[in-house]
Amino acid sequence: MPSKQNLVVIGNGMAGARAVEEILARGGRDLFNITMFGDEPYGNYNRILLSNVLNGSQEESEIFLNPLEWYRENGIILHVGVYAESILRRSKCVLGCDGTIEPYDKLIVATGSQSFVPPLEGLTLPDGRYKPGVFVFRTLDDCREIAEYARGRGRAAVIGGGLLGLEAARGLQNFGVKVDVIQFAPYLMNQQLDPQAAAILKTIMERMGVGVLLGKNTTAVLGEEAVSGLRFADDTSLGCDMVVIAAGIKPNAEIAARCGLSVQRAILVDNQMRSIDDPEIYAVGECAQHRGNVYGLVAPLWEQAKVLADHITGHKPDAAYHGSKIATKLKVMGVEVAAMGITEAADERDEIVQFTEPKKGTYKKLIIRDGHLAGAILLGDISKAAYLMQAFDRGTPLPEDRLSLLFDIGAPAKQVTVQELPPDAQICNCNGVNKAAILACVNGGCHSPKAVMEKTRAGMGCGSCKSMVTEIVEWACDGKLEEDPSVHYYVPGVPLTKPDLIKACREQNLKSVSAVFQVLAGGKEDAASKPGLASLLNTIWAGEYVDERDARFINDRVHANIQKDGTFSVIPQIPGGVTTPDQLRRIADAAEKYNAPMVKLTGGQRIDILGIKKEDLPNIWRDLDMPSGYAYAKRYRTCKSCVGTDLCRFGVGDSTSLAIKIEQHLQGIDAPAKLKLATAGCPRNCSEAMVKDVGAVAVEGGRWEIYVGGAAGSHVRKGDVLCVVDSHEDVLKYTARFIQYYRENAKYLERTYGFVERIGIEKIRSVIVGDSEGIASRLDDAINESIAAYKDPWKEAYNPVTPNQFSSLLPVLQ
Amino acid sequence: MQLSISETHCPYCALQCGMTLVSEGGETSVRSRDFPTNRGGLCQKGWTSAELLYHPERLRTPLLRAKRRDALQPVSWDEALDYISTRIKSIQEQFGRDAVGVFGGGGLTNEKAYLLGKFARVALRTSQIDYNGRFCMSSAAAAAIKAFGIDRGLPFPLADIPHAKTILLTGSNAAETMPPVMQYFHAQAKNGGSLIVVDPRRTPTASAATLHLQITPGTDIALANGLLYLAMKEGYLDERFILTRTTGFEQVRGVVARYWPDRVERITGIPEKQLAYAARLLGEAPSAMILTARGPEQQSKGVNAVLSFINLALALGKAGQPYCGYGCLTGQGNGQGGREHGQKADQLPGYRKLDNPEHRAHIAKIWNIPESDLPRPGRSAYEMLAHIGEGDGLRALLVFGSNLAVSAPRAGFVQQRLEALDLLVVSDFFLSETAQLADIVLPCTQWAEEEGTLTNLEGRVLHRRRAVPPPADVRSDLEIIAELATRLGCQSAFPTQPQDVFEELRRASAGGPADYSGITYERIDREQGVFWPCPNENHPGASRLFLDRFATPDGRARFHPVQHLPAAEEPDAEYPLYLTTGRIMQHYQSGAQTRRVPQLQEAAPEAFVEIHPSMARFYGISDGDRVRLSTRRGTTIAKARLTPAIRFDTLFVPFHFAADGRANLLTNPALDPVSRMPEFKVCAAQIQLEIS
Repeated sequence: MPSKQNLVVIGNGMAGARAVEEILARGGRDLFNITMFGDEPYGNYNRILLSNVLNGSQEESEIFLNPLEWYRENGIILHVGVYAESILRRSKCVLGCDGTIEPYDKLIVATGSQSFVPPLEGLTLPDGRYKPGVFVFRTLDDCREIAEYARGRGRAAVIGGGLLGLEAARGLQNFGVKVDVIQFAPYLMNQQLDPQAAAILKTIMERMGVGVLLGKNTTAVLGEEAVSGLRFADDTSLGCDMVVIAAGIKPNAEIAARCGLSVQRAILVDNQMRSIDDPEIYAVGECAQHRGNVYGLVAPLWEQAKVLADHITGHKPDAAYHGSKIATKLKVMGVEVAAMGITEAADERDEIVQFTEPKKGTYKKLIIRDGHLAGAILLGDISKAAYLMQAFDRGTPLPEDRLSLLFDIGAPAKQVTVQELPPDAQICNCNGVNKAAILACVNGGCHSPKAVMEKTRAGMGCGSCKSMVTEIVEWACDGKLEEDPSVHYYVPGVPLTKPDLIKACREQNLKSVSAVFQVLAGGKEDAASKPGLASLLNTIWAGEYVDERDARFINDRVHANIQKDGTFSVIPQIPGGVTTPDQLRRIADAAEKYNAPMVKLTGGQRIDILGIKKEDLPNIWRDLDMPSGYAYAKRYRTCKSCVGTDLCRFGVGDSTSLAIKIEQHLQGIDAPAKLKLATAGCPRNCSEAMVKDVGAVAVEGGRWEIYVGGAAGSHVRKGDVLCVVDSHEDVLKYTARFIQYYRENAKYLERTYGFVERIGIEKIRSVIVGDSEGIASRLDDAINESIAAYKDPWKEAYNPVTPNQFSSLLPVLQ
Repeated sequence: MQLSISETHCPYCALQCGMTLVSEGGETSVRSRDFPTNRGGLCQKGWTSAELLYHPERLRTPLLRAKRRDALQPVSWDEALDYISTRIKSIQEQFGRDAVGVFGGGGLTNEKAYLLGKFARVALRTSQIDYNGRFCMSSAAAAAIKAFGIDRGLPFPLADIPHAKTILLTGSNAAETMPPVMQYFHAQAKNGGSLIVVDPRRTPTASAATLHLQITPGTDIALANGLLYLAMKEGYLDERFILTRTTGFEQVRGVVARYWPDRVERITGIPEKQLAYAARLLGEAPSAMILTARGPEQQSKGVNAVLSFINLALALGKAGQPYCGYGCLTGQGNGQGGREHGQKADQLPGYRKLDNPEHRAHIAKIWNIPESDLPRPGRSAYEMLAHIGEGDGLRALLVFGSNLAVSAPRAGFVQQRLEALDLLVVSDFFLSETAQLADIVLPCTQWAEEEGTLTNLEGRVLHRRRAVPPPADVRSDLEIIAELATRLGCQSAFPTQPQDVFEELRRASAGGPADYSGITYERIDREQGVFWPCPNENHPGASRLFLDRFATPDGRARFHPVQHLPAAEEPDAEYPLYLTTGRIMQHYQSGAQTRRVPQLQEAAPEAFVEIHPSMARFYGISDGDRVRLSTRRGTTIAKARLTPAIRFDTLFVPFHFAADGRANLLTNPALDPVSRMPEFKVCAAQIQLEIS
């Protein structure tokens, strides 16, 4: 590998540092030993943001691009605060002001520029320093000094009405000084604006309290020891305490000129950013002049840095720079300005699109050449700037509709009613259903939102359009909206509610699933309805039920939960989660005796003995001598509780004994789906009673809130308050009555959260608490009957229902 | 007439909605199922998915052609498998092991993905295996590993979404691609949350947002850096989080300092005011999530684009905290699990790496082979295809669950390369566009005819059940792999029962980053899916990651300074418009399945291009016109769809369609240097009226 070349960079500003970054990104560290000269004593910072530092909207620390560590990490030698004095082209080295000599193979000149300071009388003190109160606006130090000096001053003048001058004026205003901007040219921002735009800008600035003097040639700075005013060529003058000179830039090209490189306004470079005189010397940024242009903005200098890096590293030897498109945006005294490209039509082909509203301070002008944007000025309303700037940068063809270039037309349509929606308006994105399809469905005979949703699938995806679909159906039905009765069917395939279905089966002696379909569903069998019917028929007819296929699950037959490996889990009842050493001992003994591989505490405050063989089930039940905990069936399962009042500092109600009472009362009650209950001794809800099928929560005053329809599984729902009662007895009464109502009216496998939402809590409350249908005492009787019939299924241990009930032959699930 | 009711999952996207399939007498219908991902909802694709099961075009017997131009003819399984193994053996003998490659898919179950990786490394002993997830998830995966030390799409369950105050969703049209997920975003809005959607199009997702940032394609890094710039300027940084839970912020600070608003506006086309509003929504929110999808990821700088958004999340302290985090919305059905278990060129099961000696030793032990027998990492998907026919390129390719002729970038060239193979074997259940090019087509079981696990976008491992028996002469991919392994003389075990494969996968993944060892089929059924990592059976599964530490060696998340770069191909005078590609609601991926469902095909029958009406007028194009779209790679014919919802300078084409409507005839295979992701999302195009 050839030894590395020496690359020296004069200048550590945005151009120099950027060029080095780009070179490093192209593997430059392996090609070059890099040395940089930087006359400011810092790493490299973002000069673009200096005005933010001046106006206080950004901290100095936030504008640094590369801290000093960056140079170390990348193996760059940085001569901090060392000014490069001369380039010796014949011996190919650079001399620093501190005597440093750095030899180079390749040299990059990135000396940037300085403020152009017009030759004014009285600018300096006899010792050559600026008179106190005179500033240029260029570096971080300038910024600091201006800020320090401005505090407590009355009046400041800014010489220069261009981009930088206006930014300086904005910064100064923040210090509470009265600012005047003095512009030599006949109008403000003459690089970026046309006279019309500039006039509007001037009016706005004056309204904001900034003085604007146009066509003024400043000749002298007044004041003996410090600035006291300015004098102009027309012999007028202006009093001020400080003056900031922002009259343009002057490229730092002396070092290049001294070593014989061609310099006009700046160092002349070719398309590879090399000096036209010396192929080993590159120039980049504000000190470079390319095809007559010197750029003072950051975007062009970064574009130049890229080409330079491509070329110097050999990454893309044919890389070439063809000039930059200039665009600027700024906010002057709260007025937003965006400008790009040319400011006046230059050619007969040029088409001008213009809009003016001086009163509002709005001005928009586009210059279009061959369908592409050649220039634009936006003042006041710059909402289209983002788009136009990209179209300008990229030469994108412009849409024919010129108006759309100036304004955002067709803002979001205002809310329309469902009548006004066009037929092809998409209502359901998830299922691609439009208004016309919904109307067709209504006309086809579906007169309820649910029927329409099921038929069209509208609303059956993310569900967000459900209210819209309902609205359309309501409108289309024109008052003939029907509640879809099918929402209350026990199973979808038989058009009857549960009470009606039970009645019909009993009256017509229907004992098999196929008979039910034959008689009650017109012979049309619905596969998904079968398991529900089988379960119901079994309940109604018990032993007489004609089991057409093995529709029940094994869990119900052996009163235990089957596990993956064919073994079972055994969970004895532990009411309220309160147990005794004796029970624990029995559980421990049984677990050992039957080699249970795992014993686990359940979420329902019980103990699960896992891995029990089927044939051992009756034996372990006998050994445990505890009732079944029903952890396997669609029945009442458990009532969880907290420790209640005895030991808890917060408890306001005795939740533990209530839970025990509930369990003893409701144990084993079968239901359309499982029932999980809880009681909580205070609203802190430690036992999660608010998200149970039924939960009782103690509140102040010895009262209990009864929640129904809560869930905390895959579906999470906070229960609704059914009622507030005064005693354990009432909790038992309403809980039991609610459960009976649920047993009679819920669909197959419908958990209470679905049931409560379907029926509505108001309706449920009126039936259960207000006895609006006069069925309360019948409900109480019915559940008491079931309670009285309760029999611990584990007693089957002593008396199997069938001879092979517990043999280990495994019936197949499904 | 057996009645069966199976609780299973949809065959399509990574949301893996729960559904119930009710089958009786040769008919199957889809019923709603309340599962934690979709809570009962399904999109049109899901509701109609059972149409695939008894489709007349279903492949029912192996097909073979002895010569390229012959028609495919039915043959027996023995004939087909013997033919394949004989050809493979002779090709490997003549050209070396690496002359045979395997191409997998992100729709394959975990079991298949695992066994396919094992088959390539143990039976074929080739290094050449990769999969279509390379075209999908690879950028997000690589970035997440760099930043967090682990790659799981979402570090939180979907149920957390409604609780985030602000969500930035970039490059996702979830309302069309995974519609049921929108319920979480709607719930978030209802809770008073804000949603920011970044997309060149005002999609249904963007229309539902608080703020839509209509970005220029390919400028995501500038946007993320610009937002971070504003966050710094406005004082939104969570310095304490940065200090205690991350490393590397200082370098990012320096880079981000270059992304002041008017510069970012000029690059991204997003007005400064909107940038400021977005920064405020994110910065002032007590909790926020940043989610990416294919938009920023499918770019030649996709990894950096994702890293830039991760930087933003980390700097705001919106990661590793409740209801916060960076996540990616995975695309394919098993896009998550499919990228964890070894069908990736550089990867072994459990997200282990093929170039890590410890990882190699662990897997070699499980597979009962000497570590030295394990191949080294091979070429990435596109590179593998592009090298076909070159000196060390493939001579034979086995494709499982992928339709490259439609879904690969620069599809015309890829099709040419596939045609240059000596042997192309495709396992599929329909004669996909890729199967039509094959020498041998093996009919395999599909979705509801087989069992297996998938890992959804949350990292939740799910159980897909067998609902119906497959046609008589159809075999599962597991059986095909095992048969081929035996015929190739491989001594290692290739189980054919999904649960047996899963048991082996559990052992193989144990101790790896994607640890499945505590997950069992039974637990999945009982617990409605189990989140990985789950290192033992008593472990509850990790539904939320990073709350205490990140998965890096020091537990801290990593910042990465990243810079904006232009797209590999920017518009110019000749190709003046941006072209971006994506998906629509009715179709899934290459459309091999959904184009065969009548309801879906009727709703979205053919390729179309979205163009802004003003731009269309410039080209003299009216709504419904047939237009010719061209890039430097090819030409596509599509129907013009005029919509003001797209940027003036951008065209959009969905990639689901076949023949000359293939969007991927146009796309640019410029690859991300790290993830090897092709640049599907941005290239330069021209458009003109098709003169017929």
